[in-house]
Amino acid sequence: MKILINLAFQSLFNRKVTVFLTIISLTVSIVLFLSIDTLRLGAKKSFFGNVKSGDLILGSRSGEIQLLLYSLFQIGSPTNNISWESYKEISKKSEIDWIVPISLGDSHKQFRVMGTTKEYFERYSYRKSKKLQYQFGTHFQNTFDVVIGNDVAKILNYKLDDSIIVAHGIGSQSLHDEFPFKVKGILQKTGTSLDRLVLVSLEALEAIHKDWKAGSKIPIKGTNNKKNFTEQDLIPKEITAAIIKLKSPITIFKVQREINDYEYEPLQAIIPGIVLTKLWQIVSVTENIMLAISAMVIVSALIGLIAILYSTLNNRRREMALLRIVGASPKTIFSLLLLEALIISFLSIVFSIILTQLLNFFLFPILDNKYGIYLENNFLLLKDFYFFLIVLLTAVIVSIFPALQAYKNSINDGI
Amino acid sequence: MNNALEIKNLLFKWNNQDNFSLKIKNLSIKRNKKVIMFGESGSGKSTLLNLISGIMSPISGTIIIKDTITNNLSSNKKDAFRANNIGVIFQQLNLLDYISPINNILLPCFFTNFKKKNKNYFYNRAFNLASKLDLKKNILLQRNSSQLSLGQKQRVAIIRAVINKPFLIVADEPTSALDNRNKENFLNLLVNICETEKITLLMVSHDTSLKKYFDSNITLERIVKK
Repeated sequence: MKILINLAFQSLFNRKVTVFLTIISLTVSIVLFLSIDTLRLGAKKSFFGNVKSGDLILGSRSGEIQLLLYSLFQIGSPTNNISWESYKEISKKSEIDWIVPISLGDSHKQFRVMGTTKEYFERYSYRKSKKLQYQFGTHFQNTFDVVIGNDVAKILNYKLDDSIIVAHGIGSQSLHDEFPFKVKGILQKTGTSLDRLVLVSLEALEAIHKDWKAGSKIPIKGTNNKKNFTEQDLIPKEITAAIIKLKSPITIFKVQREINDYEYEPLQAIIPGIVLTKLWQIVSVTENIMLAISAMVIVSALIGLIAILYSTLNNRRREMALLRIVGASPKTIFSLLLLEALIISFLSIVFSIILTQLLNFFLFPILDNKYGIYLENNFLLLKDFYFFLIVLLTAVIVSIFPALQAYKNSINDGI
Repeated sequence: MNNALEIKNLLFKWNNQDNFSLKIKNLSIKRNKKVIMFGESGSGKSTLLNLISGIMSPISGTIIIKDTITNNLSSNKKDAFRANNIGVIFQQLNLLDYISPINNILLPCFFTNFKKKNKNYFYNRAFNLASKLDLKKNILLQRNSSQLSLGQKQRVAIIRAVINKPFLIVADEPTSALDNRNKENFLNLLVNICETEKITLLMVSHDTSLKKYFDSNITLERIVKK
């Protein structure tokens, strides 16, 4: 056995250029597969990372995916709001640990404005229960303070204490220009939709909409002075949705049912994890296609491997005949070829492990900082070992064909 | 056992087809004799050597080497028997270019009786034989064999053929590509080593001028049945 390994190694080394190219093509395809797999898992994780915070999302009755998209990802628009009274009523439930309201509808430049409470900043968590951090400043102190996401600050070049005017609706020209906001905090990059949000307090949203009705400004004399608002004035009338955390996850379906059966207003509660899974099933078609493509790349690399083994067979007839003469059996010749394929694929796997680790090391921080794609740097997972095993096994199985040819040749070829 | 090799009623057909066949009624070679066999190209010399070394199998008949009917052995045993008892030198002095000369020499040992305890024995034997043939140790220890000169390759091939103390050496036109001086050197070395190691030699060639190095000669056409 030792002699076979030596022979295989030295023979491969003797053909180093072709062997090296084969190893490179196999390595690249394995790295491609592993990278796509990592990206796929990373995308899924950062997608699902947005739902770490709550058990239920409360909103007006509409499509559940729609509610999920606008409440967690700020994609699309809510069809209806829910009244502050219903929100208060629901929040009285004893099963609820905390409940954070959010209110959408306005925008600043290309970014959405979301009204919420201070609690949002404490409760919000992403990835593996990471908490929000401020790059600069802190959460709002006064009514017209604003906290902006990292992308907002970067793209619009905002600093602390800059002044911001919020526009009514999305992409609208009518500005709430009588109420300028002040940047009080800039959040650190999270890689979630939060990076592209402008956060204000619910009270501020109420204040700037005091003299608005049905989307247009109706000035009422004497009230358009912000100093005149009393605390009572600024209690919101409506919110868009609310994130609910329960004391115990066992009560999740009970609370959900109670909210769905709420008799004074058409409400619905969704379990974000479940809805997200439904949504992911739609998205994951692309994911599977990517995976299938990279699997095909591996197959083509393996075909390249057999092609190399086949094409060298003729040049190596004398070598094989010589081995036969000195006592090697046809079986030995057969195993020699399998061993060569095994060595090639094993080396490719080793190289691809090194390469992916290097890529992880150098690329992941860049992806995280620049694009907010957070990928976990797991060294090698069990599934990767299974994958390597499959690659090795496939390599051996496909090289049975050239090995069989060598076996036949070595029976017929004499001196 | 007076005969090193005995062939009786041998019939061989290439791939069991009729386009080439070899029939030999009787051929025997005495122990420790050096025999040269002449034959035209295509007369079946190489085929006969392949049959003797057990690479190919006859359809019928017997081949007896060292009192063993080799053509009845299982294919594994045939391969082992060949590695242990038959040294082969062939036309292009086939060495594996990508392994060292010493490993080329030891190839037959790797496939047979190379154990830890006798590893040194075979290494020493290789170096001893090499020094007798004027091959320095550092030449044998080169990283690969492609750098060797033709003369060095010949000597390495001879050493490889005798390393396992074979009973019989078969040589297939090893001199056909050599000029006269090299031919002479080669045959002297080969004949000498067979005498000192007490090995029977069967060499095939079409060059009748080589007769003088051998004890006897056979012409293949004469022993082949038409």
